[in-house]
Amino acid sequence: MLNKLARWSRIKSPWILHLNSGACNACDIEIVAALTPRFDVERFGILLKATPRHADVIIASGPVTRQMRDRIIRIYDQVPDPKFVIAVGACAMSGCVYRGAYNIMGGIDQVIPVNMYVPGCPARPDAIVDGVVKLLGKL
Amino acid sequence: MTDAELIEKLKVDLGDKVAEIAHPAPRRLFLKVAPRDLVAVTTSLRDAYGFVFLSTISGVDNGEAFEIVYHFSTPETDLNLRTEIPKAVPHVDSITPVIPGAILYERELQDMFGLVIDGIPDPRPLVLPDDWPAGNYPLRKDWKFERPQEVIPGGKS
Amino acid sequence: MSFEIPIGPQHPALKEPISLRMTVEGEVITDVDIRLGYNHRGMEKLAEEKSWLQNIYLVERICGICSHSHATCYVQGVEKLMELAPPKRGMFIRYLVSELERVHSHLLWLGVAGHEAGFDSFFMYTWRDREVVMDLLEMISGNRVHYAINTIGGVRRDLDAGQIAKIREGLVVLRKRSEYYFHIGANEPSFVGRIAGVGILPLEKVIALCAVGPTARASGWARDVRKEDPYAVYDEVDFDVATADSCDVLGRVVVRVKELLESYKICEQFLDKLPPGDIAVKAPRKAKPGEVVSRYEAPRGENIHYIKANGTDKPERLKVRAPTLANYPATMEMLRKGFIADIPLIFAAIDPCICCAERTVTLIAAGSGEESVVRMSDLRRRAIARHQNAPVKRNAVWPL
Repeated sequence: MLNKLARWSRIKSPWILHLNSGACNACDIEIVAALTPRFDVERFGILLKATPRHADVIIASGPVTRQMRDRIIRIYDQVPDPKFVIAVGACAMSGCVYRGAYNIMGGIDQVIPVNMYVPGCPARPDAIVDGVVKLLGKL
Repeated sequence: MTDAELIEKLKVDLGDKVAEIAHPAPRRLFLKVAPRDLVAVTTSLRDAYGFVFLSTISGVDNGEAFEIVYHFSTPETDLNLRTEIPKAVPHVDSITPVIPGAILYERELQDMFGLVIDGIPDPRPLVLPDDWPAGNYPLRKDWKFERPQEVIPGGKS
Repeated sequence: MSFEIPIGPQHPALKEPISLRMTVEGEVITDVDIRLGYNHRGMEKLAEEKSWLQNIYLVERICGICSHSHATCYVQGVEKLMELAPPKRGMFIRYLVSELERVHSHLLWLGVAGHEAGFDSFFMYTWRDREVVMDLLEMISGNRVHYAINTIGGVRRDLDAGQIAKIREGLVVLRKRSEYYFHIGANEPSFVGRIAGVGILPLEKVIALCAVGPTARASGWARDVRKEDPYAVYDEVDFDVATADSCDVLGRVVVRVKELLESYKICEQFLDKLPPGDIAVKAPRKAKPGEVVSRYEAPRGENIHYIKANGTDKPERLKVRAPTLANYPATMEMLRKGFIADIPLIFAAIDPCICCAERTVTLIAAGSGEESVVRMSDLRRRAIARHQNAPVKRNAVWPL
């Protein structure tokens, strides 16, 4: 019974954590733009949270730089189960234009397991919202 | 003062400190000096000519030596001060006593090329990660990087 | 008793990872240290392996907010190396997009400044206005960010009469809404009181530490690359350099609002003077050996690219210095003697584009060397709470 309640609240109102690991900022602005009046994800109950311990979904952008690698793993560990990771943008998927650079490990999936990929450079806010909603549909 | 007048005045004031001076385009002057005259020339540029604004410091590895270019500008013109140091003894003086804003650019040069900047107030690395193996200077031409093979989750490599 | 506080590499609302370590005594910051490197992507090395044309797309992605400024600065330099003269129409379109980018960036920043000061409705208003500009840019270039409208020798897409009419309409709407921000000082004395006197940077420090952009112009430093090094078509339009004298965050807001209004003026002049003709000339594959210094006024300050060619189809050396890096020594200076509560605001006031430079925040206890982690959002909440209880500075003057 409690499980069903918890699952319902997770689907109806996922709290997200925005993680930027060395990105150019374009995907991040689009993620924040998703909160603004035009796209407004808050009507879906999605809240942007500051701390990993309150989040259900990690929205990660940016190719993983060497310096950020350990921090990403630490943050991932701090998010309580069950957790989901959405990789937003071409950089988080594979490294985009930075593939081959000496300080870049590749996409986010080289460091933490990813559940959903949202392509684009940068991914449009509509696409990001679509990605989050599709992920919730799978739960 | 036009660019041509400035060039004449510099030749007169700095005399033999100026190894060469070029004017390839309007508002672009390139002045070459020896490393030992660097601080003296920077001081006189700042005091007598008003070149207080330093845009950045570029390092170039041109095979035999390192070239360091200091990009100054005033509302009238841009002056790029160049100096060359040998790869075997890559030492150059810090210009932070003259231009305090140069500190971050000099730290970046030390990281990227392995130069040693004498007299730098803060020698810590600037941009490379904490676990970067010492002795690897990415922007040197002879430093090559082999990208490790990525593991594609759930797929063929 | 002093504390060292690190603000971790990751915090909400738009910022990217960077590390600042601050030594604090009570509420006053006594020392600041910056740890860059979280966003270092090794682009300069990567650029040496890609051709001139491929590098446009690489350089564009140095930053998402000022992507066109990096691409344009690079392309300007390469065109000089290849001795190309792009046609006038192409130049006008290129710099029209530049000014629209400046508008979008300043509106973004005004929203962020409002958010840092606790004024969230301002954040929502400015980002709603920003959508008008994003639609215009999408109409011109096909993408909201990373327009990729530059090519070596000109631009890739042309403007037709319908698009020009839409741009004019959009500018009218934006100008009306920006006039509201212009007068916000009269309507919102608590916002003005919150930001006045915070993050003081006197003019001698600006000059000694080589600060750039609106951060420096708010202290009366009247230099703008568009006026002194008029690249391409800026000497054909009429505009003023925006400055302020208060040397604090209020001055920086004033400078950016003034620049918004100047940008609308410039855009209209570009549209009026747009000549007919081609939009690009054909560029060769290889560039003759040589070097070039290319400067550009990005929304955050002066952007400088130093490009060296060696006769092949790849650059020998590409050096990029983005404006935020130049403002770091000045930021450290501003944070010293400030209050912890003001950190988010001071830091936001330089309009950090960390991906252009890089970052996070750590505060250090001077006496015991103890470290404690404080999130930027906690700092912001603390700052807002502290100022809610403090009396409003009613004598802060909004100079517009």
